[in-house]
Amino acid sequence: MTGEEPPRETLSSERELPGGIAVSDATAAEIYGEEVPAARAAKTAPGASKLVTFLWALPGTVWLILFLVAPVIVVLVVSFFTGTITGFSKTWTTDNYTTIFSSTSQYLDTLGKVARNAAIVTVVCLLIGYPVAYFLAVKVKKVQYSFALFIIALAPFFTSTLIRVESWIPTMGEHGAVNEILTKIGLINHPLSILLFSDFAVSVALVQLLVLFMVTPIFFQLAALDQSAIEAARDLGASGWKVFLHVTLPLTRAGIMIGSVFVFVLAMGDFGTYRLIGGGKVGSIGVNISNLVSLLQYPQAAAQAAVLVVAMVIGVVLLLRFAKLEQGF
Amino acid sequence: MSQQLKDRLSKWGLGIWFGIFLVFLYGPILVMLVLSLQDSSGGSTFPARGLISGYWYSYLGNSASAALRTAAGVSVVLAIIVGLIASALALSLIMAYRRMSRRAARAFLYLILLSLMTPGILLSLGMSLWWKLLGLNVALYPAGLGVQVAWALPFGFLVMLAIFNRYDIAVEEAARDLGASAVQTFTRITLPIIWGGVFGAALFGFTLSWNEFERTLLVSPTATLPLEIYGELTSATLQPNLYALGVITTFGTILLVFLMLIIVALLVRRTARAQAAALAEDSVEAVAAMPALEGA
Amino acid sequence: MATQEQVGEPGPEVGEARANGTSGPAGLELRRLTKQFADVVAVDDVSLNIDSGSYVVLLGPSGCGKTTILRMVGGHEHPTSGDILLDGESLVGIPPAKRPTTTVFQHFALFPHKTVLGNVDFGLRMQGMSKQEREKRAMDMVDLVGLSEMRFRRPSELSGGQQQRVALARVLVTNPKVLLLDEPFGDLDRLLQLRMRVELRELQRELGIAFVHVTHNQEEALSMADRIVVMEGGQIQQVGSPAEISQRPANVFVAAFMGDNNILRGSVAEVNRDQAVVDANVGHLAIPTGEHSHSVGDKLTVAVRANCVNLAAGEQAARPNEVVATVAATEYLGDTIKVHMRAGEHNLLAKLPEQRYTEMSKLVGKPVVASWDAMNVQLLRD
Repeated sequence: MTGEEPPRETLSSERELPGGIAVSDATAAEIYGEEVPAARAAKTAPGASKLVTFLWALPGTVWLILFLVAPVIVVLVVSFFTGTITGFSKTWTTDNYTTIFSSTSQYLDTLGKVARNAAIVTVVCLLIGYPVAYFLAVKVKKVQYSFALFIIALAPFFTSTLIRVESWIPTMGEHGAVNEILTKIGLINHPLSILLFSDFAVSVALVQLLVLFMVTPIFFQLAALDQSAIEAARDLGASGWKVFLHVTLPLTRAGIMIGSVFVFVLAMGDFGTYRLIGGGKVGSIGVNISNLVSLLQYPQAAAQAAVLVVAMVIGVVLLLRFAKLEQGF
Repeated sequence: MSQQLKDRLSKWGLGIWFGIFLVFLYGPILVMLVLSLQDSSGGSTFPARGLISGYWYSYLGNSASAALRTAAGVSVVLAIIVGLIASALALSLIMAYRRMSRRAARAFLYLILLSLMTPGILLSLGMSLWWKLLGLNVALYPAGLGVQVAWALPFGFLVMLAIFNRYDIAVEEAARDLGASAVQTFTRITLPIIWGGVFGAALFGFTLSWNEFERTLLVSPTATLPLEIYGELTSATLQPNLYALGVITTFGTILLVFLMLIIVALLVRRTARAQAAALAEDSVEAVAAMPALEGA
Repeated sequence: MATQEQVGEPGPEVGEARANGTSGPAGLELRRLTKQFADVVAVDDVSLNIDSGSYVVLLGPSGCGKTTILRMVGGHEHPTSGDILLDGESLVGIPPAKRPTTTVFQHFALFPHKTVLGNVDFGLRMQGMSKQEREKRAMDMVDLVGLSEMRFRRPSELSGGQQQRVALARVLVTNPKVLLLDEPFGDLDRLLQLRMRVELRELQRELGIAFVHVTHNQEEALSMADRIVVMEGGQIQQVGSPAEISQRPANVFVAAFMGDNNILRGSVAEVNRDQAVVDANVGHLAIPTGEHSHSVGDKLTVAVRANCVNLAAGEQAARPNEVVATVAATEYLGDTIKVHMRAGEHNLLAKLPEQRYTEMSKLVGKPVVASWDAMNVQLLRD
């Protein structure tokens, strides 16, 4: 196809998502010095076209501002308000934050634990999920089977997280399925109690809930991968493992990054899993917030939420930094 | 070891891993299934008593489960509305997105992804505070509806993005060329081609709303089904009727997903066969061209 | 930096252009057309006349501006400056829907959700034609392109050649005054392309309207065009008949792009009454002086077509327009052969009839004398 100038930027290939999945046609075009305008819809004159774009974007953007951006900003604002018995008064104060960072507060402890858990969950998801994605995208030869199996793996995601968490209780409890099976086989004498209402249990449940967020971007990126690069490496004498390490893995870096960010963020912000599987024993910021709200201590809750978000952002930035270090392969 | 043998071993090894993975994912659901089939003597954990019985399924129909049924009704209505609104908004956003400059498009994508990554509990808190500041009553409509649509929107948007991957913009130019106005192009050309994406986005929205829990928690005094389940999980003793409910909703959802998959597969197969036949015709035409050139 | 229509040798093509259709305001005129995207000038001050009823091909490599011009004529792109006139009236600002031009798109852009018939009658629907008449016209057109048996099929169920015919039917049914074609053969396999060239040219002759055809394929352009417009870098390099473009390229770009040219550079060593002798590194050339006056020391570039080069075994160049070279390789092409030679650092090419293949293959690695007539030396600008 002639790359007639300026080339059409259709939302064309799987590699094409601003925000960095692999190398987009746009990036490639930039390397070759061609100008890339946005995907063109038929236009009559430039002015009219901008208005139409604006109008299309308006309803969705307004909705998101109203129900996404505003709540987050409000949380930030209320975190500086003073708490009263019935809620809050609009008196500016930083007390909420000093309480959080004070020596008697357990907040930072909890935050640290949650962050650590989230990191562990992310790594485990990667270790479990990557082979799954690899199997589906690379080892299953027929595309139909590949997608069919992917959908089978994806289906549980469509069910309620609540139900899945709920189903964890009879599975992992002291009289749960796992313990029963293990006892019957004879591997253990007493039921393991850490399988439920513990840090470990929460982590396992989170992995089950979130691993699909890791599998999906890696799967799509692997599926879009040009197999000939792998074959070329083989031709040049690289063994299977080396091919994976030096060719496949670097080429799926973006998928790994996206999956990791998703899992980490969702794990850090989780509430339901901690509440139901952690029981009263495992703290999380989400649980804190929920408790504070039921005590009508909104500014405190808001402050805890705000710090959580900051911690998440720091975590994500660190994650992305770390991932870029890997670039020197 | 030959390369072929290595390949086969790794394929089987990874296949087994995939199998274990599926057990990991589906296991708890199957456990729930087993326990839901207990009779009235059954409790919330093993050992399972009185298999196999439909007791707890019919229990869902009696007065003790009334709250659950009401909540289910609330959820269905809400989910339908969320699906419709989220898919409409996702459509309008993608129409805007593909006309944007690259920088604007990137910023836009980040905004949309922000919705995916913001913790639900944070949004719930923020929503209720925001409504309080505005002096409004926090309720399922419109506050709960608002957050749920905001949650479903990025998923719908991603579905539309995938659909537009395979979309040839030139068809719109061709339509304009042939005399269609912008409106006509949209209604007669664009929409009919991408309607599958809109439907998929609506389905996505429905499913996400049906299951949504954290965002609505602090926002709605009215119980949606997940909220009702949450309430019973945390206050009352766990009874197998919740398992029965879990089984119904889970398998119902999975069935829906598989149904969609089968429909898509059938559609793909039909056009694939036609295309294969068409490609064969191309070669026949080309061969037939030779005597034609001679004659010309 | 304006590029006018008459580039290179002014000559018969001007009269030819007028002879082709009616003179005066009829036809398509591009007047100082410019298109700028951010910091890229895609079309640079281009002026061109296209007579109604003629088949004009815009030829050039990727990025030369040909498709942008086509899109501007069709109304899918807005010019930065300049004007486009059809029969004396400006088209700029008129949306594609209301222009009397229609475009056949590169990958056909058929409506995937409509049948063949649905695709073909779309334009008529938009014109608000009555259902009866619309059905009749569409059916007639579908018959004309030989697709009546397929009329209820969807595009995905058609072969490439059939899809192209639908694309043609779809635009022709609206009776455009000018038909614009954007690389119409790109998606077809080679044999089909060859056949469709003939069919498309016949179609144009029957209809008698102007076709503006964009391609990067030199052979396609030569085979189909009344006039070829060679473009590069947003500017017209040469306009002329296929014979002119291939036999008398105006500048280095055209000579190189059309291929099969030996391009030689040198400086004038001697000036005689009707000839000038040029010292090129490979040897001496004698060129007719014609209307140009040369002085000793002038730097020149010339082109010698490969099929004007004769070869004979030998080691000495006796006269101007003879060059000694070593045969590097021979290519057998069926009707002709190509002989690749090296003279010092230069590559030379000769195209000879197939019968000389055995002779030439024996000379691989050996010296030969390449020679040509002075009148086959084409002087190039730049």
